[in-house]
Amino acid sequence: MAQYETILLKNMEQPGYSGSLEDYERAGGYQALRKVLKDMQPDQVIEEVKKSSLRGRGGAGFPTGVKWGFIPKDHPGPKYLCCNADESEPGTFKDRQLMERDPHQMLEGMAITCFAIGAETSYVYIRGEFRLGAKILEKAVQEAKAAGYLGENVLGTGRTINIFVHAGAGAYICGEETALLESLEGKRGQPRFKPPFPATHGLYQKPTVVNNVETMANIPHIMNKGGEWFAGIGSPPKSCGTRIFCLSGHVNRPGNYEVPMGMPFREFIYDVGGGMRSDKPLKAFIPGGASAPFLTPEHLDVKMDFEAVAMAGSMLGSGGVTVMEEGTSMVWAALRLMEFFYHESCGKCTPCREGSSWLTQILQRIWNKQGRQGDLDLLDELCKNIAGRTICAFGEAEVGPIQSTLKYFRHEYEELIREAEATRPQSKEIPVFTH
Amino acid sequence: MPTPSTTTETVTLTIDGQTATVPKGTLVIEAARQVGVMVPHFCYHPKLTPDANCRMCLVEIEKMPRLQTSCSTQATEGMVVKSSSSVQAQEARKMVLDFILANHPLDCPVCDQGGRCDLQDFSHEYTATSSRFQELKRVFPKEYFSPLIETQMNRCVQCMRCVRYCDQIMDVKALAPTGRGTLTEIKAFGAHELDCEFCGGCVQICPVGAITSRLSMYEFRPWMLKRTDSVCGYCGDGCQITFQTKDNALIEINSTQGSGRNNGDLCARGYFGYHVSEHPDRLTLPLIRKGDEFQSVQWEEALELVGQQLLDVKAKYGADAIGGLISGRCTNEDIYVFQKFMRGVVGTNRIDSSARYGHLNGVHALQRVQGTHRWSVSFEDIESADTLLLVGTNITETNPITGLKVKEAVKRRGAKLITIEALNPAIGSISNIVNLAQQHLGVKPTGFSTAILGLLKAVVEQSILDAELQGKAPAYFNAISARLQALSWDAIFAQTGLASDLFTEAAQVFGQGKKVVVLVGPGVLRSEGGFGMTMNLMDLLLITGKLTNPGCGLAPLAEENNDQGAFEMGGTGAVLPGGTSLGDPAVRENLSKAWGRPIPDTPGSSLPQLIEDAQQGKLKALFVVGENPLASLPPSSGIHSALEKLDFLVCQELFLTETAQKAHVVLPACSYAEKDGTFTNTEGHIQSVRTAIDMVGESRPDWEIFSALSVMMNNPMEYGDVKEIGKEIRNLLPGTRTLGPAPLPAQPDSSAIARYVTTDYQRDIAPRYQLPVNDAATDEITLQVSQSLFHSGKFSRKAKGLLQVEATGKIYLHPEEAARRGISDGDMVKVSNSLGEVLTPVGLRERIPQGVATFPEHFDEEIRQLLPYKVDPETQVPYYKLARVHLKKVVGS
Ligand SMILES: Cc1cc2nc3c(=O)[nH]c(=O)nc-3n(C[C@H](O)[C@H](O)[C@H](O)COP(=O)(O)O)c2cc1C
Ligand code: SF4
Ligand code: SF4
Ligand code: SF4
Ligand code: SF4
Ligand code: FES
Repeated sequence: MAQYETILLKNMEQPGYSGSLEDYERAGGYQALRKVLKDMQPDQVIEEVKKSSLRGRGGAGFPTGVKWGFIPKDHPGPKYLCCNADESEPGTFKDRQLMERDPHQMLEGMAITCFAIGAETSYVYIRGEFRLGAKILEKAVQEAKAAGYLGENVLGTGRTINIFVHAGAGAYICGEETALLESLEGKRGQPRFKPPFPATHGLYQKPTVVNNVETMANIPHIMNKGGEWFAGIGSPPKSCGTRIFCLSGHVNRPGNYEVPMGMPFREFIYDVGGGMRSDKPLKAFIPGGASAPFLTPEHLDVKMDFEAVAMAGSMLGSGGVTVMEEGTSMVWAALRLMEFFYHESCGKCTPCREGSSWLTQILQRIWNKQGRQGDLDLLDELCKNIAGRTICAFGEAEVGPIQSTLKYFRHEYEELIREAEATRPQSKEIPVFTH
Repeated sequence: MPTPSTTTETVTLTIDGQTATVPKGTLVIEAARQVGVMVPHFCYHPKLTPDANCRMCLVEIEKMPRLQTSCSTQATEGMVVKSSSSVQAQEARKMVLDFILANHPLDCPVCDQGGRCDLQDFSHEYTATSSRFQELKRVFPKEYFSPLIETQMNRCVQCMRCVRYCDQIMDVKALAPTGRGTLTEIKAFGAHELDCEFCGGCVQICPVGAITSRLSMYEFRPWMLKRTDSVCGYCGDGCQITFQTKDNALIEINSTQGSGRNNGDLCARGYFGYHVSEHPDRLTLPLIRKGDEFQSVQWEEALELVGQQLLDVKAKYGADAIGGLISGRCTNEDIYVFQKFMRGVVGTNRIDSSARYGHLNGVHALQRVQGTHRWSVSFEDIESADTLLLVGTNITETNPITGLKVKEAVKRRGAKLITIEALNPAIGSISNIVNLAQQHLGVKPTGFSTAILGLLKAVVEQSILDAELQGKAPAYFNAISARLQALSWDAIFAQTGLASDLFTEAAQVFGQGKKVVVLVGPGVLRSEGGFGMTMNLMDLLLITGKLTNPGCGLAPLAEENNDQGAFEMGGTGAVLPGGTSLGDPAVRENLSKAWGRPIPDTPGSSLPQLIEDAQQGKLKALFVVGENPLASLPPSSGIHSALEKLDFLVCQELFLTETAQKAHVVLPACSYAEKDGTFTNTEGHIQSVRTAIDMVGESRPDWEIFSALSVMMNNPMEYGDVKEIGKEIRNLLPGTRTLGPAPLPAQPDSSAIARYVTTDYQRDIAPRYQLPVNDAATDEITLQVSQSLFHSGKFSRKAKGLLQVEATGKIYLHPEEAARRGISDGDMVKVSNSLGEVLTPVGLRERIPQGVATFPEHFDEEIRQLLPYKVDPETQVPYYKLARVHLKKVVGS
């Protein structure tokens, strides 16, 4: 199997690397922050990140430098940075590793980002279940503070950069950036309608950048080696750098793998991940977390970059690659995901709130062999009326699995419904009132 | 923000082919409304910030990739919007309805909202008759919510209007969504039954039948209701209300969104307090005393007796042996005819009204300094003020809707709020205005005058002074500064507990204000020195140069619905209709010409004077209309012996009140729900009161009874109907013509100001600029008998809805104050001072300062025996709301 040079996992791949400040410094940590504070202007940092073509690793893939550039320069009051560590997407588990094993890497990235956008206060919003991660981060923040990398007078420059670790309370939706902000403000964690965007009206209605953990972890490296260096890795011009893909499902070696973007799925699943766990061939895979529509074996040669996956009708999303072997019921898979989305729909907007329970109930019926003629048309129509009609992107996410399995595996649904029709008692039904 | 900024910049867009030109910042949904396109919606409400959650208002906008929510999208120049002309938008709305109806129970036939429900209406408009939803519906178990408000969460469309209203408008935050997804329910914040201001706003704003009033539950179908637009009869805010009646029964009250001075908002009294008129205790026939008993008689007999008695007393002792007292709850027409009757038929000026209880202090100060008897500001000025000073208002409880204007100014428009209040910042079940204050000067109820002086001192020390006026009236300025200099910060601290820097900061904020409104409440107007304090606040506005600036002024808050009208209609003896002086012969002359009857040139007298004269046997007969002095005044006022001394007491009343029980004749009057007329609210806005139900029994409008009496007394003042009275008043008083929607506030009169700053101030400046005598430091507590949000006078105790929230009096203490004394919630305590002792249960409230206890005045029948009584030397306002008392836990309770 080919070896790839890692950037983000490099430190922790060293035997004995503990993630402590000492280890991190020994590996060259906080040099980027020093350099930035000493030699660079905030604008130059933003320019460098733009040059790197780094795109957000949280799901939407928005160009990071451009996002930072939206922060109004002359805003009088405070500005904020929030690092999105809510990682709750089924099949995604990279941020956790980054936080637990090399916390200073992302903290350094955050400090540099604060400098670039002019924020003095920043928050790590960490998923409530990540108790260990929160503890490690908290300790790392204290270490960094004691060493002068954070706090009131960072590296003697008189500049204040504070990082606070805030744990969520267990809602997937709080990973959506505006729900995250609401939750951080102590409110019910529900998305805000946009516009306005966080760049102008974010935390406490102040200009705010929200970036993913992995995005942050890339920043020190870009500062050390330059935007051009980064832009040369992966699949330029639009998908540069490496990504940590989280491989799960019916494969031999599930886990996190950092590879340059643009690698074909086939190579990733079969070479990097060691291929299928049994002799059953691959039937379908999710290319980018639970929100990404399913793909099929014919997409195995699609390159793992933002554009190529989008062209194939799905998205690179959060980087969670879930592989399913032949024999897996696609209706069951869709139902399983739909149940997750039903459970996590925040309920703020009508189509998602009501649609998620409606879709779930239909799928449950079909799976339980109580499907009816017309169910599939109804599924199609409900999905169409959720996507694009909701406050946040959860609406698109929740219909992805259904729409894609209906597209590629419609026969499995039809089969279940046929069975239901065949086994349904033929006597005249007694009409039943459901309210 | 739903309200576009005041810029005149406009944009032009087209909506369904129609062109609309609207101010920049207008939301598409509002722009559409302006050209007659109704975009269906649930979560949007013009009062609230957009939430865009229901997705019903989707429209197609050219050049935008997907459908947009018109409730959250601002109109821009050249925008092309398609609403009902967009197939895509129509399909989307249809589907939104399908989604909502998935879990909606469709119990319209048993739902109070059925017939006026947005969901029902839009369903009829958009969807087929059957739903494609064939799964199981989510069903919430029924839960008890509160005594007055009921929820039916299966009907909820999760639009969050109720939650947002309670937060954004009321600042109560009593409601919260709980649960997630389809399991989202609206509940009381915290795991207890709803405990809030019970303003009914959530009921009014719910687009469906998910939150309803328990008082009218299941009693009506909306189409059976007859609507009558009228005005609330409780406080001086003067809210527009709509009586909803069915077969002559009061079913509910609401207020139309956007209408009235209240903009459709109400308080608990207005929304839930409407059963008074229908109370079974209402008097239905005149009563004549026969020994210890009352006997019901016909009107003729009663009127004849009253007429004859009044004539007899007049013949025997002279007209000035007869006095009159009328309630500020009566209509302008009633009060006008009453004083005309007393002056023109009986022949005395010895009348007074409940405006005497405090409102007169405010009116008198306005008149004396700026020459107007009305505010020089309006509710709109409060909303658009940049700086507000509240002094002794406890505004949430006394004038809740004026309170909403303050909240609007502070919460939404960024005004700065300075409060001098006997309240602690604390979160409780009702809103607390001092929580919103930028500068809070917390004092005891006895500390207002010192705090006002402290603020004045800080203003003078900082030289936040109007140089121009100072140049014109140096002596006035010097007199004030000299007196303030003589007061030490130490002495001010000793009385208020507030250090000088707090006053300095507040003075700076005050000084920076361009549009400054000072609101004064009962804490000032009804406590000892009330007139002087109000005058000093006028000084504050004057010396800082604010008084004459547009949008600035002093706003004394009227406690009763028509206190202001009582003054303007001549209901306070020495003042003739229009606020003119009885002492002015020219005025008398004019009026007697208009009336065609002489006006006596004897002095008018105040209620305290009437009491004194009755005790001394100089007053023989008293005509009391809608007032209940025995229940309002403490025994220390001498009211008991005064009434006992009378030869003849006649009461015109809705109920057999404490005072009426002592009367010789009781005449049944009808309530505001049964008559036409007008009320004048605290800001001087005259509004129409309209008949909603038939007169109860043989009760009659007050004016009709006076008119009938005048006939009996061979000096007839006949009116065919109330309109004739209105016409007479309008012809007489130019200021009463403005019956339009937005009154122009009065303008301060520069000649009055000039008179005040040159000479008139000298009269009482010395006593006004003195610190009151310091209280002895003992374990005594300052007891304040005060207004509760859930009642108004004693009147509302006949409102069954309000009794469900508050039915008894308790002495309220700060929890720490109570703990220090070993007292817990619900304990019985003995409250005592030299005047007596009373047993009462204790309640705890964090917003009450330490060293203070409050007791709702509506239940003060026992506790008022502890209240000392004093009369203001200038305005004759009786002060009796404060006492020093000892508290002792009753062991074994
Ligand atoms: C339903 C939903 C859940 C999301 N959850 C996460 C998450 O757990 N972590 C994350 O980084 N981004 C998540 N996002 C994406 C964020 O909204 C946001 O785009 C991202 O944090 C931006 O950071 P980036 O630009 O560095 O990718 C989620 C988005 C949606 C719609
Ligand atoms: S789409 Fe779903 S998760 Fe997003 S705001 Fe609407 S209800 Fe909440
Ligand atoms: S009635 Fe109570 S819950 Fe409803 S809006 Fe008023 S204060 Fe809030
Ligand atoms: S109770 Fe009424 S106002 Fe409140 S969220 Fe439900 S439907 Fe909306
Ligand atoms: S009592 Fe006052 S605030 Fe309440 S509804 Fe009546 S007029 Fe309005
Ligand atoms: S009215 Fe616009 S989304 Fe509800």
